[in-house]
Amino acid sequence: MSPFEVWLRSTSLSHLMHSRWAWPAAESLHFCGLSLLLGTVGLFDLRLMGFAKQIPLPALHRLIPWGIFGYFINVMTGICFFTAEPDQYLYNPSFQIKMVFMTLAGTNVLLFYLTMFRRVRSRGPGEDAPLPARIMGGASLVFWIGVLTCGRLLTFFRPPYHWCPWC
Amino acid sequence: MDMYSFLSVWVRESPSLWAFPFILICHTVGMGFLVGTNVAMDLRILGFAPRVPLSLFQKFFPVMQLAFCVNAVSGILLLIAYPTKALTNPLFYIKLCLIAFALTQTRWIRDQVLRNPAVDVKPVLGKGRVLAGTSLAVWAGAVTAGRLLAYTYTHLMSGE
Repeated sequence: MSPFEVWLRSTSLSHLMHSRWAWPAAESLHFCGLSLLLGTVGLFDLRLMGFAKQIPLPALHRLIPWGIFGYFINVMTGICFFTAEPDQYLYNPSFQIKMVFMTLAGTNVLLFYLTMFRRVRSRGPGEDAPLPARIMGGASLVFWIGVLTCGRLLTFFRPPYHWCPWC
Repeated sequence: MDMYSFLSVWVRESPSLWAFPFILICHTVGMGFLVGTNVAMDLRILGFAPRVPLSLFQKFFPVMQLAFCVNAVSGILLLIAYPTKALTNPLFYIKLCLIAFALTQTRWIRDQVLRNPAVDVKPVLGKGRVLAGTSLAVWAGAVTAGRLLAYTYTHLMSGE
């Protein structure tokens, strides 16, 4: 175990996470956060792609802060899991790929706000988003579903029971 | 071996990622879209994103319907894989009741709020807001109950 893992395991957060109900409670919150993210960001992505076109894009965008709130809940609860059992994540190929998907999703968000947001904000009801924005909407859905998939696969790739080509 | 036993054993014991893991992933993605779309609708009724016409929120109902179908099918498969685990846990019945109640509320909201001719003319008050508030709470309860199933079962398989 690396010194970083030893330190994480010695924190009071790690001890708290090993109490009877902390882990299940954090898991429940993690799933509520995920729903909040998919229900706001996911619907906005669908609208970018051309679904429910009558809904004006800037109006629907006002729900995004709730998606950010869901994301925040999930980063916090995610840190709790990681702190409690660092080795279960660090050496888990599913976790590593999940981090790749999160980076891709994050880069996509950044790219969208830097290049497309101003043009999307001026679109009214019935109007299509510009093509690059439509592609970013589709990419966002793929990346977030990738994050979810890897999250659910974590349990099936727990070290040291599973062979991983690069760990 | 009959079809039921075959399915049960396959979902539970197949080493393939397309068996248990894939079904579980479908159940989670479906949950995210079903609950998430409902949550977005409830938040809109409670006054957030006020310029989204509520009548048009019905456009997202196919998302909910598809997500529900995915979850009904994947849920039944997960139940077939571990029937004793679920059926001996009182929380499983609570989860089903919460989902039934939440879906009934979705219907009420559609019929009484979204399809109200005045819905886009003035903000939703009173009963519509109460419905949206309880819908949020009941969905959160259903998600929590579902998540806790993994921690509260007493018998994994019959005879154990």
